[in-house]
Amino acid sequence: MRGFSIRVYAGTAVLLLAMAGCGGGGSGGGSGGASIPATPPPPTPSPPTVADTSRFLDQATFGVTAGDVGLVQVIGFQAYLAQQLAATPSQYSGFSYTPHTAPATCQYHPATPTDASSLCSRDQYSLFQVQRQFFTHALSDADQLRQRVAFALSQIFVVSGVEIYEAYGMADYQNMLLNDAFANFRSLLQDVTLSPVMGHYLNMADNDKTNAALGTSPNENYGREVLQLFSIGLYQLNPDGSQMLDGTGAPIPTYDQNVIEGFSSVFTGWTFPPLAGAASQWTNPINYDGTMVAFDSHHEPGTKLLLNGLTLPAGQTSAQDLQMALDDIFNHPNVGPFIGKQLIQHLVTSNPSPAYIARVSAVFADNGSGVRGDMGAVVQAILTDPEARGDAPTTANFGRLREPALFITAMLRSLGGQSDGVLPRNAISAMGQPMFTPQTVFNFYPPSFVLPGTETLAPEFGIENAATALARANFVNTVIMQGGAKPDPTVTGSTGTSIDLTALSAITYPDGLIAQLNQTLMHGSLSSAASAVILAAVNAQSATDPLAAARTASYLMLSSAQYQVER
Amino acid sequence: MQRRKFLLHAGALAGTAALGQMGVFASRAATASDYKALVCLFLYGGNDSNNMVVPVDSAGYANYASVRADLALPQAQLLPLQESGGVLRYGFHPALPGLQGLWTSGNLAVVANVGTLVQPLTQAQYLSNSTQKPATLFSHIDQQHEWQSSISTTSSNTGWGGRLSDQFNSLNANSSVPPMISTGGNNLFVTAAATQALVIPVSGSFGLNGFSSSGADAARRSALVSLLGVDRDADLTSAAQDVMSGALSSSAILNPILTSSTATVAQYFTGLTTNFALQLLAIAKVIEAQSELGAQRQVFLATLGSFDTHTDELNQQQALFAQLDPALSAFNAAMAAIGAGSSVTTFTLSDFSRTFSPNTGGGSDHAWGSHHLVMGGAVHGGQIYGTMPTLTPAGPDDAGTEGRWIPTIAVDQYAATLAAWFGADASTLATVLPNLAAFSPSTLNFV
Repeated sequence: MRGFSIRVYAGTAVLLLAMAGCGGGGSGGGSGGASIPATPPPPTPSPPTVADTSRFLDQATFGVTAGDVGLVQVIGFQAYLAQQLAATPSQYSGFSYTPHTAPATCQYHPATPTDASSLCSRDQYSLFQVQRQFFTHALSDADQLRQRVAFALSQIFVVSGVEIYEAYGMADYQNMLLNDAFANFRSLLQDVTLSPVMGHYLNMADNDKTNAALGTSPNENYGREVLQLFSIGLYQLNPDGSQMLDGTGAPIPTYDQNVIEGFSSVFTGWTFPPLAGAASQWTNPINYDGTMVAFDSHHEPGTKLLLNGLTLPAGQTSAQDLQMALDDIFNHPNVGPFIGKQLIQHLVTSNPSPAYIARVSAVFADNGSGVRGDMGAVVQAILTDPEARGDAPTTANFGRLREPALFITAMLRSLGGQSDGVLPRNAISAMGQPMFTPQTVFNFYPPSFVLPGTETLAPEFGIENAATALARANFVNTVIMQGGAKPDPTVTGSTGTSIDLTALSAITYPDGLIAQLNQTLMHGSLSSAASAVILAAVNAQSATDPLAAARTASYLMLSSAQYQVER
Repeated sequence: MQRRKFLLHAGALAGTAALGQMGVFASRAATASDYKALVCLFLYGGNDSNNMVVPVDSAGYANYASVRADLALPQAQLLPLQESGGVLRYGFHPALPGLQGLWTSGNLAVVANVGTLVQPLTQAQYLSNSTQKPATLFSHIDQQHEWQSSISTTSSNTGWGGRLSDQFNSLNANSSVPPMISTGGNNLFVTAAATQALVIPVSGSFGLNGFSSSGADAARRSALVSLLGVDRDADLTSAAQDVMSGALSSSAILNPILTSSTATVAQYFTGLTTNFALQLLAIAKVIEAQSELGAQRQVFLATLGSFDTHTDELNQQQALFAQLDPALSAFNAAMAAIGAGSSVTTFTLSDFSRTFSPNTGGGSDHAWGSHHLVMGGAVHGGQIYGTMPTLTPAGPDDAGTEGRWIPTIAVDQYAATLAAWFGADASTLATVLPNLAAFSPSTLNFV
């Protein structure tokens, strides 16, 4: 059995305070040990509590860190959000145009001495480096909220590595989302629409007008999905996200096939941006750098039936039709609740109340200065809403299952780990979330997924099952019990993946160790019953292995459902 | 808050490997020979069945080729499907030679123009909006869900595979693993009233890593299990705990089966390395272990994606069929080899078919009624069931002008035929398929 001493425990309290940041707050409680001394009072008159601050940071960042808790304790939520909204976007870097078809010299020979061509197919014709950079940015870069929102947007405005396998293309697209994360929704919608990456993925690029001789008509892919997935959804919504119902109690469709054909006709006449130095023609070769260009001679000339009773006149240019059509979508009353609810689900909770959705929709409709679609204001409203804030949730269905990407980043950030992103990008596929590579435009999981036998929304449970749940626990095993991953010699600057548990292992008093992890990982929310279970396992570890207790407690907490469901 | 009854939870907490001992199913004796399995293959994205089953007679092919234009398959490459009495009307896509062989040997049937319906629907009724149509036609996820649930009036939280499985719980009283197993992730088709399919990986080991037999590791594992039983008052937390409980129990039983190097079925998959083939191999291994696992009625799901061919359709569908054909051929041969040929019936579902008229991008768009494949020793093969649509845009079967065929067989009838083979009587069919009474006949005799 493991021994402990009061003398060492005194040091534990100091460490706990240091890791929790300035002040420590008064209500971070829930610790397993009754004998932990009271923490000092907070340094400012009414800063947010440690528990609420930690919950806030779990919602706004890629994982709570002691430094961020300390910062927010000092400056408060609003000032932190202001800093984050102003933070310089991180960017995927080191990528440049490659032709759609890889040259024959482009290979993958990692075992032999490497040069550019021997790693070409991995580094330029797969998403490996982009996926790796996702993790390095998420773990380290300062623009945490921007990245969180961009990641959420990447799961709404989906493009996938199934089709977009060129690294530079996916990097371009993700950089666009990072830049637009707090922009106006109208700008975001246009940038997505004219992105050649989206153009290739949903076939707006090279979408030609009707050819009567051939009996062909415009491709309906983008025209359909921009409505169903990127803006308004299938049914008319109230501002609180509930469906409007007709006189018979049935939901009211937002559009029919005629409207799909109208938008499909709008989105004709665009091709990829010309390659540098090349003449532009219908059609240009696949090129993801820049925005798509119009050829009005390939634009459907007739009238187009759109939303809100609008019919576009015949004979307009590609650009004229596009602007009017995007305005038409943007001004549909569904956009606020449709997008707002999904952002709440990605950031805060799977089951927002109608009132919460309505408050966010109102900010989408008007940011307080008469501006519709201000995404920065929407994100602020989501994170400062009374339903999101507080020391603990008040409803049983509050919270969200940490999706695999956030599960990985949160454990590494909170425990002071480091990673070059190689192990995370390798391991995440078995957890059901291959980075930026969902099977379809419907993302890894639908926002409407419910727990079997209930009405409880649980989007991330769309990929939670026996195989993926074991993969999560086995990732914790790799990182915590097996020491992580060594540097990869084929990756420049590789550092591997590791978490140094030395500081935690200095806490030789098991109650203190568990209390510390509770504070660091779980906002102090771990129940006394769960603490007791972990304590029993810690006490069964070897007293001669200095890391055994810290590893055991960390493994158990990280692999637990109590941690994996963020509440 | 709704609480879910999770059948496996107590077993996992007790550390019990043999779930069949829990007695949660009503006990009913059944002979080992009374085994049946349904294997659903969901073709994600909407398979263009207009190019899966193609007219080969002169007039039919000429019409097909004139409309399909750049999407037309060359007549000489089509694989003829001889019907009874020497009739030859249609041929398979050239990438389906194995399935053509199964057709010829009577192990494969085609069911024509199946689709989501609320009730039988004529073109006049569709165009006049006088009769209820399926909700959200032409939308991927909604049409997937309607195929998987066989409910087209509203969204459903259960699938017809799941509801069917629930009806046979008494026959699975001795099963040590859940009666529904998926190699294609979570899926509405295999979601029952309170449970969903066990999802198994198709490669690697299936289990918890990093535990030795030491006392320290035993204590850590015991704690991991104990943590699944506390803090169960939060909905999502208890749901995640339930998933892990089931994972621990089932993986202990299935991992040796899935990683076995001595399974008889494996030899039939030699050289097949696609994920889809690995899915069918994993299912075949589980079926081979049927007597050890103790289930009498199993429902499996495998999936193959990327059928949403809005562009580059000829190449993409060719590549997908080149995965489908050898894997299905191997699976059928493996089932025959272990004596399960007539005990296992495999069938396709897909979002919808695609417009018969091509779009301007070398592909086709979302449509409606589609042709489907049913395979196995019990199948009355070598025949096309139902009526093939008239392949004319704006013709008598089109819901519009681009060749979106109004289905003439409902998903409910297709499902009922398979469910009846599985053992469902009329009253069970009515429970599993609540809208079946709208269609006549209820079943179609293809199996």
